[in-house]
Amino acid sequence: MFKELDPILHSQLRLAVMSLLISVKEAEFTFLKEKTNATAGNLSVQMNKLKEAGYIEVIKQFKENYPQTICKITPKGIDAFEAYVLALQSYMNPNGQ
Amino acid sequence: MNEEEENLSEMESLRLINEMISKAKSSYVTTGAASMVWGALIVLCSLLTWLQIKLNYFFTVDVWLFTLVAVTFQVYFSIRERKRRNFIAHDETITTYVWSAFGICIFLLSFYGSKFGNNGQSINSLFMLLYGIPTFITGGVYKYKPMIVGGIICWILCVISMFTDNPVDMLLMAASGLFAWLIPGIILWRRYQTKRAASV
Repeated sequence: MFKELDPILHSQLRLAVMSLLISVKEAEFTFLKEKTNATAGNLSVQMNKLKEAGYIEVIKQFKENYPQTICKITPKGIDAFEAYVLALQSYMNPNGQ
Repeated sequence: MNEEEENLSEMESLRLINEMISKAKSSYVTTGAASMVWGALIVLCSLLTWLQIKLNYFFTVDVWLFTLVAVTFQVYFSIRERKRRNFIAHDETITTYVWSAFGICIFLLSFYGSKFGNNGQSINSLFMLLYGIPTFITGGVYKYKPMIVGGIICWILCVISMFTDNPVDMLLMAASGLFAWLIPGIILWRRYQTKRAASV
C-alpha cells in the first residue's frame, strides 16, 4: 500500500529547504538561498508556505543594524519530514523488503 | 532552483534530500587552527617546564600563564567565526558545553594546585585525565578518529604518569598535547587547505 506524499513537502524548493533545516539547528535566510540557488522572492514564497503549515519557524531580527531572518524546523516539521521519507521508501520498496 | 513547482519523482526527491543534507554537512568546515594552537602551547609549556626542572633554572614568569592568553584568543576567534557563519549546527551546542566545562575544570584544578600545594605527581595525572575527556567526546561527536585516539592516549599517559616522577610527567604532558590536539589540528588544517584549493 502506497502512502500519500505530503503535498507541502513534495515540491523541489520546499523539500530542499526542509532537508537543509533538518541538518542544522538553525540557519539564516542567506544560507538557504546560497545552498538552494533559488531567488530571494521564490524562496520567501515557499518558506511562507512551510511556515503556514507549521513546519518551520521564521524569526526576523536585527544583527548589527542589518535585518536578519533565522529559520528553524519545528517538531511538527520533523514529524512531517520523517513521514515523507517513510512514504518515499514505501514507493521505492513496495514489498517492504 | 526553478520557480515553478515541479512534479518530482520519488527517486528525484530522495536524491534532492541526500544532496541538501550533504551540502549542509559540508558547510561545517573547521580550519583546525584552534586545536593546533592549543596543542602547540601545551607541548611548549610542558617542554619548558621539563627544561626548567632539568636545568634547575626557573623563569620569573610561570610559563603556564601563556595558556590564559591562548584561551582569551581562542574565545575571541571562536566568537568571530560563529558570527561569520550563517547557520548553527546541531553538534555545536554539545561541544560548546563540553569545552566550557573543560575550561572551568582546568581553571579549578590549577587553582586547587596553587592553593593546596602542587603535589606534582597527582595534579599532572589529573590534567591528563581532563585533557582526554573533551577530546574523546569531540572526536566521537564529529566522528573524527584522530581525536578519539588522542583522547584515549591522554588516559593511557595519565595511567603511566601515576608511576613516574615530575620531570617525566612533563614529557608525558607534552605527548598528550601532541596527540590530543596538535596532530589532529594539523590533519584538519591540511584537509581545510586541500578543500579550499579545490574550490578555487
